[in-house]
Amino acid sequence: MHLRMDQLLALRDAGSEPGSAEARQHVAQCDECAAELERLHQRVARMRALPALRPSRDRFAEVAERVRGERRQARLRRLGVGALALAASLVLFVIGRDVLTPGVARASDQLTATMAESAALEQALQALRPDQRVTDAYTARVAASLEDRIADLDRRLSAAQATATGATETELLSLWRERVGLMDALVDVHVTRAEQVGL
Amino acid sequence: MPRALVVDSYLIDDAESVIARVRAGDPAALEVLYRSFETPVYNVARRICRTVEDAEDVLQETFLEVYRSIGQYRGDGSLWGWVRQVAASKALMRLRRNKYRDTDELHDEVHAFRKEDTPLRMDLEAALERLPEVSRAVVWLHDVEGYTHEEIAAMMGKTPSFSKSQLARAHVKLRRWLGEEAVA
Repeated sequence: MHLRMDQLLALRDAGSEPGSAEARQHVAQCDECAAELERLHQRVARMRALPALRPSRDRFAEVAERVRGERRQARLRRLGVGALALAASLVLFVIGRDVLTPGVARASDQLTATMAESAALEQALQALRPDQRVTDAYTARVAASLEDRIADLDRRLSAAQATATGATETELLSLWRERVGLMDALVDVHVTRAEQVGL
Repeated sequence: MPRALVVDSYLIDDAESVIARVRAGDPAALEVLYRSFETPVYNVARRICRTVEDAEDVLQETFLEVYRSIGQYRGDGSLWGWVRQVAASKALMRLRRNKYRDTDELHDEVHAFRKEDTPLRMDLEAALERLPEVSRAVVWLHDVEGYTHEEIAAMMGKTPSFSKSQLARAHVKLRRWLGEEAVA
């Protein structure tokens, strides 16, 4: 009667399991079990010698982006504007839903049009040059909250477009529409601010 | 207990300062940690997870958790040991979330029933890959990373006996698939 695998493992690991003295004695007398124990050692040694597997791409940028997002959210919470951000998101949802009616066009046409609208809003935002303007704390907080949401949406869009199975056009369209709604609100924040200061 | 991947805080210049800077929220310090432990963390994740995508997600989640929880690292053990613990927990969590285990075990039992007498000889990587997720996780964490059955049981929410039995089953399969069974 030879040793079972669990007995061989117990013998290898600690040697203090119940019955290990008998098992040890058996191995000393049984060539087959001694060879089995040696094969077990060899197998584990080979596993430990396997080369380390490496990631196919650098993920640090995504880690850093999520860390930045979390820090910004924490800052917003500390500033007590969580409620403001929530209210803004609800308004944006309604605006987005009303402005972007689905219509009867094919999803791909709607997707193209929505992406173009998003690009136009990007250009409008760049023309306003918000980074070079003096902004009050309230506006800065609302803008930062919107930027966070856009960054998060961009990550979701990137993931949806990169996925092997492929998101449906309807799913992509929904994400792009959400982006247009957020971009529209962000442009609006900066336009309103510019009008208030007569720029 | 010997370790396959001897990666420790000594690999990071001025590890204490780096840890302090991560605690203070310095992203450059987090990148130092990431660059130091990226490969061993991914290796643990990939050995446990079924897919490359899952392992890459675990890699990302691990460093996010490291950033969030670095305050809990007291410096009384190796930094790599702590980071690895986070990685292993995240990978096992992913395993539970994907509910691979049940289907795998079922698949494995069916496969074993049909192919029991078929001689197999595959390389070690292929044989490890073929193991059911939970068995592979246990064999890797115990035999390569050096965790005890008690530690593995705690991470998996199971008993040490469960871990021991998974290890024994894994080795029986590996022995067969690697063509190492003794000729009667």
